[in-house]
Amino acid sequence: MDIKITEQADNLLKDNGVRKEEILDIIKNSESSGQKLKSKDGNTCIAKGASENLTIYAVYSASELLDVYTHKMNILGITGGEIKPVEYDDASDWICAKCGEVALERNVDMSYLGVTRPGPGLVCAKCGEMYVSAGMAKSTLKTAEAILEEKRA
Amino acid sequence: MEPISTVESLCPECLGKIGGIKYAENGQVYIKKECPDHGSFTTLISEDIGHYRQMEECFEVNRSRARASLTDVEKGCPFDCGLCPSHKQDTCLAVVEVTDRCDMGCAYCFASSSMDKSLDPDMETIRFMFETVKKCQNEPTCIQISGGEPTMRDDLPEIIRMGKEVGINHIELNTNGRRIASDQDYFDKIASAGIDAIYLGFDGVSDDIYMKRTGKKLFDIKSEVINRCEKAGIGVVLVPLVAKNYNLHEVGRIIEFAGSRVPTVRGVHFQPVFYSGRAPSGREGRITILELLREIEKQTRGQLKVENFTPSLMPHAHCGATCLTVIDSNGFLPLTNVSLGALKSASDVASKTKKSIMGRWRGSEKDAQKSSCGDLLIKSSCCEKPLSQLTVKGSCCEKPITDILPKNSRLGGGWADFIEMSRNSYLTISTMAFQDVWSYEKERVENCCIHVVTRDGRFVPFCNYNMTDCDGKFLYRNAT
Repeated sequence: MDIKITEQADNLLKDNGVRKEEILDIIKNSESSGQKLKSKDGNTCIAKGASENLTIYAVYSASELLDVYTHKMNILGITGGEIKPVEYDDASDWICAKCGEVALERNVDMSYLGVTRPGPGLVCAKCGEMYVSAGMAKSTLKTAEAILEEKRA
Repeated sequence: MEPISTVESLCPECLGKIGGIKYAENGQVYIKKECPDHGSFTTLISEDIGHYRQMEECFEVNRSRARASLTDVEKGCPFDCGLCPSHKQDTCLAVVEVTDRCDMGCAYCFASSSMDKSLDPDMETIRFMFETVKKCQNEPTCIQISGGEPTMRDDLPEIIRMGKEVGINHIELNTNGRRIASDQDYFDKIASAGIDAIYLGFDGVSDDIYMKRTGKKLFDIKSEVINRCEKAGIGVVLVPLVAKNYNLHEVGRIIEFAGSRVPTVRGVHFQPVFYSGRAPSGREGRITILELLREIEKQTRGQLKVENFTPSLMPHAHCGATCLTVIDSNGFLPLTNVSLGALKSASDVASKTKKSIMGRWRGSEKDAQKSSCGDLLIKSSCCEKPLSQLTVKGSCCEKPITDILPKNSRLGGGWADFIEMSRNSYLTISTMAFQDVWSYEKERVENCCIHVVTRDGRFVPFCNYNMTDCDGKFLYRNAT
């Protein structure tokens, strides 16, 4: 799989402090293990990887890296400990590529600098793999991290 | 006895320059100094050498000096204040005293206030003091109008307006609150003149405390000041003087009260008693920073621990400690902890402190629109901006972060609530240990950033300005 990294994507990598080789490794690992989210139309994937205290996500098509985002929070697990039925439609637009299950929008507990709170995640009910969406990571989590880091700023 | 360092200090009897040593004994830190004429004096500085050292390790600031020194070095610190060229630190808060008069007659008063109206500076003198600040202090300029009790003056609104005309960026008012609570018309004028924050004397949440210091019941008055400031969108900092046998047992309840009145109350600033000016004889009331922090830990049932207080970005590691905390339904959630290591200072101490004074101690959310330094300052890699101005770099556009935060996520995201809470439910708890002639260390005062402006246009570090010998005779105040 030959993924092109445009100048724009390269800037995103720099903004997030992620190296090119790192992101390509994450995509390669996901492709070989099948551990990734796939859009319903099958055109876009999200791969997840970790480097020291940072969770890194790659959003990509068959040919190109589309987006990169990260969070420093540590995902602890499903809020409440198990996936219980809910009344609302919790189906997301993503499918767990490994299990073929639709990923569910569920709260997951995330922890950073001693503070733990729930936040929306994308969860596969079968394998239990947990992801965070780009919107959530780029807005809410980034701001919360900045607030918690203010003491060190 | 384990020596720590030598210190340059003053004799409590004659205010002469004398030397001494700082040392640890049985785990406690002391200063012992010797005057050839008046003998030796020993003062406890900290109960725990471990904590004392930890505060030093945690303290790291870059300094900037004042734009220009106004006096020469002749006799050496602390006798050439003005500032002199050996002073290492620019002003972060300039104190402008507009009267010596006060209606309170407290048992403790470092200013030793009296009631002679003819001694008040006239408007021209005050304008000159404001202009001196504008000329000498690096931007942005921060002033505290103090006294005496500034609200003794009917022309206080004009004084505030004049300060704004001169171009002072932030003006806060140090007050006992009595006139604000009783005279709505007067308060409205102060508010419309542009006052940025109220620095409210607040020694306790029960009238017993106020009776002890002033012989008056004042708690309802203090509450009413907060009510009025809330309506006017003006931030309030509660400022308790703390002493043993006085109100030390109430510090936890003061913090709880402050928490119940955020966001109008922005912070609590504890000032351990120091023996300058007027104070009951003997020095039994004295407490160290560590003693105060231990009481706070005990009285908040461990919600705010000693370790949550880091050295204030102030003159010196031992001048103050600060804890930033968020308040949620379960109580306090401190954001600071000494174990997280030294502060990474990107800018100098005065500008950081000014930002803190302006950002945290200003008004509540209503105020944010009219001010560029509105509320919580979020530090990103290259700039400090209020949350509402923080933008997020997306792949194609930049939007204010508040626009893209999920408003009513059906999942009830706790982190979104956390951010909302941090913006509106945020309290700064700090303490500053002013120096008196017993605890005086030249090294601390040389780095001081809180300066009183004299009527002839000089700057004198606060602790020097109020320094008295053991008979209450001032080194600078009333001598200028």
